Amino acid sequence: MMKRPLVFGLCLFWALVTLFPLYWTFVTSLKPPTAVNGGPTYIPYVDFMPTLQAYIDAFSGIRGDFINPFINSALIAVSATALSVTFGTMAAYALVRFEFRIRLGSGLIFAAVAIGGFLLFNETFGFSRAQAMGLAFLAALPACLIANRLPLPGPILGNKDVLFWFVSQRMFPPIVTAFALFLLYSEIGKEGFKLLDSYLGMVLCYTAFSIPIVVWLMRDFLATLPVEIEEAALVDDVPRLRIFFEIVVPMARPGLIATSLITLAFIWNEFLFSLLLTTSNWQTLPILLAGQNSYRGDEWWAISVAAMFGIAPMIVVAMLLAKLMRSGLTLGGIR
Amino acid sequence: MREPIKYLFIWPAFLVVLLIGLFPLIYSLTISFQSARLVPPRPPRFIGFDNYAALLGEERFWQVITTTSGIVFSSVMVQYVIGFAVALALFSRVPGERLFRVVFLFPMLMAPIAVALVGRMLFHSTVGPVNHFFTVLGFPNLPFLTDANWALGTIVAVEVWQWTPFVILLMLAGLQSLPRDVYEAASLENATPWQQFWGITFPMLLPISAAVVFIRIIESFKIIDTVFVLTGGGPGISTETLTLYAYQEGFKKFNLGYTSALSFLFLIVVIVIGVVYLAVLRPHLEKRA
Repeated sequence: MMKRPLVFGLCLFWALVTLFPLYWTFVTSLKPPTAVNGGPTYIPYVDFMPTLQAYIDAFSGIRGDFINPFINSALIAVSATALSVTFGTMAAYALVRFEFRIRLGSGLIFAAVAIGGFLLFNETFGFSRAQAMGLAFLAALPACLIANRLPLPGPILGNKDVLFWFVSQRMFPPIVTAFALFLLYSEIGKEGFKLLDSYLGMVLCYTAFSIPIVVWLMRDFLATLPVEIEEAALVDDVPRLRIFFEIVVPMARPGLIATSLITLAFIWNEFLFSLLLTTSNWQTLPILLAGQNSYRGDEWWAISVAAMFGIAPMIVVAMLLAKLMRSGLTLGGIR
Repeated sequence: MREPIKYLFIWPAFLVVLLIGLFPLIYSLTISFQSARLVPPRPPRFIGFDNYAALLGEERFWQVITTTSGIVFSSVMVQYVIGFAVALALFSRVPGERLFRVVFLFPMLMAPIAVALVGRMLFHSTVGPVNHFFTVLGFPNLPFLTDANWALGTIVAVEVWQWTPFVILLMLAGLQSLPRDVYEAASLENATPWQQFWGITFPMLLPISAAVVFIRIIESFKIIDTVFVLTGGGPGISTETLTLYAYQEGFKKFNLGYTSALSFLFLIVVIVIGVVYLAVLRPHLEKRA
């Protein structure tokens, strides 16, 4: 088709562009300070003598606490991934195998009762904001469930719209929800229940924000599974939950693993929510990395070590994903 | 099928997303119509659309929107062009295709914060290799991060580095789904590769192109991490993006009502851009279908 060397050259060029910054970070993390400050040096043993000093410094903690944010990130990411993949896959399964009919009107009633209820409980009855929020939610949920059974006018939404509702959460600018969540968490904190800068608060928010991705990816994947085995099991009166966990989940394993990896990467890398919702105890790795920049000045060897902490697990994730894709996995059209 | 069990499957996900993702918006929506500050503390008072009006009248707000859109549209355009080109190249079975694919997965899985730190290091004015490269070519030391225009360019470059692989992977998937026989017919007609591209490949990939560009635009509008580390919005406010601006207002000035209003305006901006984008593209997409 096209000229071969040219085509290969283009791929090679972009691969080099992609790899050079990674190489540079790795090499810089091995440099002694003199090899950094004297201008760029490129090749270990030729341009400079590599040293592990920066890593030793990092682990011994004299350059700030690396270990805690690393553990925080890992704990939060793994828990939130497990939760969101479980919930999200169940929801995706429901959207593939069952039919949902939801009245648009009941959604509007939810919004109206929630906003009105919040203002009413807060302004008129003098409840605190957090209490008013809770009461408004408890009032709005039954209201919209009852409304859904009434013959309201207006369009009826199907599975596609439910899917869109989930996916549209990803289109929201995160600052909108992150700031709202910050306000809500601090109000709940005033009631004596700490969510800001806590494990529970972070896992909850990351679970909520990963579920849409999981639903989106898993729905496509589950839709490709054959329905016959499940139907056979249904005829034998096997309960749905057992069908799901004992037949569907094993069949969906490659997709589940890939989705988990993508979710894990998403949470591991997330910055904004952590920036707004944590202060000290539960700070994650990206916050630590961002901090490196301001108070570490030009100590690039130390900064590179910090960057390596953030990057290394994701390189492993990338390798695993590539392996899965090679074995023929398709994910939302990504091969 | 009337199976009540279906609710058991969908409710956990639905509840979590509703409660954590959507419900807090009610509180921030009400507060966006109030004047509320934490420092100095000021009790909330209903002020109608004053926050919104003040924002719309503020020059900084419009500058931030212009800056963000500039970064978004230029970086997505470059990502699309390079990404499509590399996807085409990979598709024509270059040697080492598998290895290239693994390499192209790396950037998108890395924390934008880490990428930006690395970018800061690469574009450093004295010890960075990029400047070294340009001085070897005979250029003076370039102010990559300290001059407004250069800083914008650097941010775009970092964005392109990180997200072009996303375009490559999706366009490659699109290329692999194209029917072969059309190309065979085209070769019989002696169509040149150039004609084949504009006559077959590009139009047939238009739907997936539209989707990829849409996802990238929506995602890019959220940009804060890269800017936060690379320039912190500076010099001045010349590289400040919408999210960064909201963060500054909310967490440096603790102006809660104002920040809530700002975040909802941001939401409106994104919705408007999404709707306009789809409206512009729809006739083209339907014509092909």
